[in-house]
Amino acid sequence: MSNAAAKVHPGRKVLQAGLLVVISGVLFVATRAVPEMHGGSGTIAAVGFLLLAGTLLSELVEIIGIPHLTGYLLAGILAGPHFLHLIDHRSVERLSSVNALALALIAMSGGAELKMEFVKKGLKSLAWSTLLQSLLVISLMTGVFIAARPLIPFAKPLTVSALAGVGLLWGIMSITRSPSATLGILSQTRAQGPVARFMLTFVMTSDVVVVVLLAIGLTLARPLIEPGADFSGGAFRRLGHEILGSVSLGTTLGIVLVMYMRLVGRQLLVVFIALGFGLTEVLRYLNFEPLLTFMVAGFLVQNLSSQGEKFIHAIEQTGGVVYVVFFATAGADLDVPLVKVLWPVALVLTGSRALITWGVSRLSGRVAGDHAMVRKWGWSGLVSQAGLALGFGGVVAREFPSIGAGFRALAIATVAINELVGPVLFKLALDRAGETSRAPRPSLPSIRPPPPAPE
Amino acid sequence: MNALLLLMGLLVLSYIGSFLVGGRALRGVGLPSGSEYVALGFVLGPHVLGIVERSMLESFEPIVQVLLGWLALVIGIDYGFAGERRVRPKSLVLGLASALLTGGAVAAAVMAVLSRVALVPTTMDGWLLAGGLGAAGAETTRHAVRWVTERHQAKGKLSNLLNEMSHADDVVPLIVLALLFAVTQKPAQVPWQVPLYAWVAATIGLGLVLGAVAALLLGGEFKLHTTWGVLFGTSMLAIGTAARLDLSPLSVMFFMGTALAAVSPHHTLLREAVAPTERPVLLPALLLAGARIDLNVLRTRYVIVVILVAIVARVAGKFLSGLLVRVTRAARSASPAVGFALLSSGALSIAIGLAFALRFPGIVGDTVLLASVLGAVFGEFVAPATLRRVLVGVGEVPDAAPESTRAIPTPVSPGLPVSPARPAAPSTPAGEGS
Repeated sequence: MSNAAAKVHPGRKVLQAGLLVVISGVLFVATRAVPEMHGGSGTIAAVGFLLLAGTLLSELVEIIGIPHLTGYLLAGILAGPHFLHLIDHRSVERLSSVNALALALIAMSGGAELKMEFVKKGLKSLAWSTLLQSLLVISLMTGVFIAARPLIPFAKPLTVSALAGVGLLWGIMSITRSPSATLGILSQTRAQGPVARFMLTFVMTSDVVVVVLLAIGLTLARPLIEPGADFSGGAFRRLGHEILGSVSLGTTLGIVLVMYMRLVGRQLLVVFIALGFGLTEVLRYLNFEPLLTFMVAGFLVQNLSSQGEKFIHAIEQTGGVVYVVFFATAGADLDVPLVKVLWPVALVLTGSRALITWGVSRLSGRVAGDHAMVRKWGWSGLVSQAGLALGFGGVVAREFPSIGAGFRALAIATVAINELVGPVLFKLALDRAGETSRAPRPSLPSIRPPPPAPE
Repeated sequence: MNALLLLMGLLVLSYIGSFLVGGRALRGVGLPSGSEYVALGFVLGPHVLGIVERSMLESFEPIVQVLLGWLALVIGIDYGFAGERRVRPKSLVLGLASALLTGGAVAAAVMAVLSRVALVPTTMDGWLLAGGLGAAGAETTRHAVRWVTERHQAKGKLSNLLNEMSHADDVVPLIVLALLFAVTQKPAQVPWQVPLYAWVAATIGLGLVLGAVAALLLGGEFKLHTTWGVLFGTSMLAIGTAARLDLSPLSVMFFMGTALAAVSPHHTLLREAVAPTERPVLLPALLLAGARIDLNVLRTRYVIVVILVAIVARVAGKFLSGLLVRVTRAARSASPAVGFALLSSGALSIAIGLAFALRFPGIVGDTVLLASVLGAVFGEFVAPATLRRVLVGVGEVPDAAPESTRAIPTPVSPGLPVSPARPAAPSTPAGEGS
């Protein structure tokens, strides 16, 4: 149990539980009185409810050492369309537009947390981990997928080559991590130490690796899954354009942000909202990778200017609210009935992935000569999966319609399990490694208020 | 124009608004009603440049609801206070009386017209139109008196009294709004048989409950950074729930603000914290209100007559209010035209108009919105100049010095965020001046 959890004020917790019941009651009555809504009011109420319920539930589950992030997810699952139905499918779909802002903040924050001195120090460890986690996890998970064929309905009729192709795609999907979950836990625990540093550096950089491997995997798997298809280098050209463009635009954005912070330095909330919604849309139009662009911008602000700390602080202030809504929406979006159907095979695949990740982490830690704590706990933050894995599932569904629907459903089921279990493991590891901060943390999320005008 | 560009435009406007929040930037600059932003919205809207289309405005309805709701919350938290002081009971009574008198005069005059001409199809629509115009015309904007006092460095009993009255009258139109929205509940939509008074009670109760929830969540120790999460969450829940039940989100949020200010031990700090957000929220709301104006409503016979009658009745109502004010010792020596100084309307009035336009699209909503905007523009021409003349008349404005040579007053309470709702120089202690 964390230090924060150790200081439980029973009266406060009872009050929080009571308030949770009150706000749930308000929305329960409203949704029962008017079950069908066609305007945006359901979405507005959903934002408010998820923010409050997520925060309150995260405070309550903290008593038993469960991280806030899992509390947000649970609030979403309970309020979502499959349980209490306080939030309907349409509202959940509309709320997914918050993802753009949340991911922009997460990427900028992640980039800004990557301090050059730490990256340089941990370069050897990072290189070995990336190499081994990529190659071994992909290979072994491809094998596991092929071996689990009898349990996977859509894989049964596949030919051997097609099965290998799908297995390869599953292997690549298995190395996707969740930067948002990592940052969410680090933000809650304010952890400092080798495990926290390693995880941050590894998870943020692994995103770039995954994007590259995704393009390679799609190109290699196509002739295996679709016998008539030829090998095409077009995907690599597109990938080169995407990465180069994203890095260039990220650099420009970083310079603009530094100049803005030096010259104006106010109203970063409005700037972040404009970037999160506006620039993300522009980047999608240009076929650039928003996560990479924002990460480069954050990295630049941190390492090429003196504005890094101010920048991180501003993102933390803004991100508090956005992250709660983002994760609670992810919880509400979880396809619980699908998990109920696919849980046996999903459990086999997630269990194998966790086991392989643990083994490879021990191996890479030994090879790179990592700190003892990193060798012991370096795997814990690699279990979480979220948006990137789901996005990957969507891409496969689009590119390979013959197997896409089944692949995507299985991806959702496994991500659901990893999304719930991963943060708990990571927080437990940080607690055990003694890296969780003892400093008190504000119990509710925050938005930075507009400061008074200079006199 | 695509919706994303409109969103970016609104953000830019909020950004500009945030720089006009406090300090010297706002004091005596711009128009008290914010009509210039309504005009900008109108120019960008479907009638002039067509950059902001009607379909886009409809897709922005949830954002408008949130903007209006937040505005009502700020008004609710600040209700009954003029700056850091509580509004005195006499000013409170005068403010309420003025709002009731003016709103009642407008509604009665409009009903009289509607009884003679066939403008709306049903009697209920007639009551809605009259009530909506009355609600939109009842208030005197809180910023008007402050605007004049700051621009002309007015100090004295009368300026204090008028300032306090303008801080006390908002509750009347918001209760009327709650009533009108409740009257039009669609029984087919809600499966339970609920009487009218219960819907009004639900409007007020929802606001009070969520205000109390927010206060309890904020707890005993005031932390500014946690305040925003709580306020944002409870506000969104309140606005969304009210809109879902077809209740008035503006009224719910107003009562939530009053409950929050009443229950929380940090009401002063809360006011200080939320006041600077009013301007950044107001400017996009006014712009969208301007873009939402539909001049085609004027093609309907008698609409222009109804709007003119409403404006004339409002002038008459405020004139009578002025006579009432002159009964007090503070205003005894004031000109009989003191009531015209209360003609300024602005944010709340236009917000009511916009809320009506969203809830009752068609002739009722469009007429109320147009009338509220025209009323604000009319007030802009008449009220500030009248107020200045009245205050000069009672010796509360040093009219000899040319404006350009006057120093801009410095805000009070250094160290605290500057609240735009705070008058620059409250000179008369509570208890004096009336």
